[in-house]
Amino acid sequence: MKEQISALMDDELSTDSLDYLFTAVKSDDNLGECWATYHLIGDVMRGNPMMKPDFKQQLMQKLEAEPAVLAPRNIRRERRPMMWSIAASAAAVMFVGWVVLQQQGPENANAAPVVEIAQNIPSEYLQAHQAVAPSSSSYFIQPAAYSENAQ
Amino acid sequence: MKHVLLTCLLAMQVSFAYAEDPWRLLQDAADAARELSYRGIFVYQSGHNSRSVQITHMNYGQGEYARSVVLDGSPREVLSQGSDVVIYTPRNEKVVITKRRAQNLFPALLPPSMSGLKASYEARLGGQERVGGREGQVIFLNSRDQYRYGYKFWTDREHGLILKSITFNENNEPIEQITFTQLTLMDTQNMDWFQPHVDPAKHYVMEEENVAAADVSDVQLGQLPAGFKKIDQVKRMVPGKQVPVTHLIYSDGLACVSLFIEPVNKKRQPKLGGHTLGSTNFYTHVSDGYQVVVVGEVPAATVAHMANAVKFKR
Repeated sequence: MKEQISALMDDELSTDSLDYLFTAVKSDDNLGECWATYHLIGDVMRGNPMMKPDFKQQLMQKLEAEPAVLAPRNIRRERRPMMWSIAASAAAVMFVGWVVLQQQGPENANAAPVVEIAQNIPSEYLQAHQAVAPSSSSYFIQPAAYSENAQ
Repeated sequence: MKHVLLTCLLAMQVSFAYAEDPWRLLQDAADAARELSYRGIFVYQSGHNSRSVQITHMNYGQGEYARSVVLDGSPREVLSQGSDVVIYTPRNEKVVITKRRAQNLFPALLPPSMSGLKASYEARLGGQERVGGREGQVIFLNSRDQYRYGYKFWTDREHGLILKSITFNENNEPIEQITFTQLTLMDTQNMDWFQPHVDPAKHYVMEEENVAAADVSDVQLGQLPAGFKKIDQVKRMVPGKQVPVTHLIYSDGLACVSLFIEPVNKKRQPKLGGHTLGSTNFYTHVSDGYQVVVVGEVPAATVAHMANAVKFKR
């Protein structure tokens, strides 16, 4: 599923698969998060202007340019903690980015995605279907309920 | 001159024989499978699976009695009386008994009446071929659209019974074949054969079905593939589910499709998409907080189409 999201962002997914992928992403918060994270990574890798190394300075300049400091006497004491907290936020973003990049390794490929594509017919539904509409195969080959559970 | 005339007459007769109505022959096959008394062995093949089955079918105006014994692998048996079918399946230390509604049990693959099939299928006569020591007439039953499988039948020229059947998928590849290797008519009224011989030493257990009538007023179905009609709607307990599932059953006369509708379980996300197993196709999707599962002996396009046709009233 994550590969499909990645393929969609790279414009490599056929339009046929889109409906299904959107349904899956909408119905699963984890995939929604994955979508956002991939865009963050993409922005970083493409050197999106927002993510340049001087991100902090730019942000500080913008804050500097902001009007309205209502209590001039407290200016110095107020600004330092703010700088620290912004620095902390930037560090947090970098840390999350790093963690996400680490997770793209092979160990993540093995983790089961939360929304799965059906690899077989769930036996409970096949069994219920055969109860009302038995096919030749359900008469003569083992029925669904036994083929999966009997061993 | 006389000879020429005779030849012409003969040729005409032959062509008349060829002009036989294929639907008439299919109706004869459907009737023969239910009305005649016969015993035989047929081979069922699908993918890598193959089973020999011995069938005994009797009808002396007292209704139908049939017993099919699977001769290969585990000794399953299917006994039917009228429309009640009971399947005996050995399983570990037990023999599990399941009840079914009678349907398409070979050689009675065709429905009792052909009228429902004519809208979705077209019938065409083929040549004559020998099957299992009997003279057979080939009849093709092809779908008029891409939403169902096609069939090739060999019917007995003397008794009408289906001797052989091949099911073709939408790409015209054979996916299932059933062939009589031996077939004789019976003239005894002895009913000793009508009892299961699975394994008398084992404990027999009945598998209960838990179904109730369903209210489906909030479910709306858009355009379905032509010919598919709803034949039943129930609420049933599906193994592993806490709440009953709404089960709608559709059929075009030959193929059957089940629609299962239930609220999405937040804890257990459904697997989405489709899958094929032998002649059976499956498709799941989620719509308006409901999970829709479609299973049927139809092409993949049909189950996907039907799943996407389900809408809910707000």
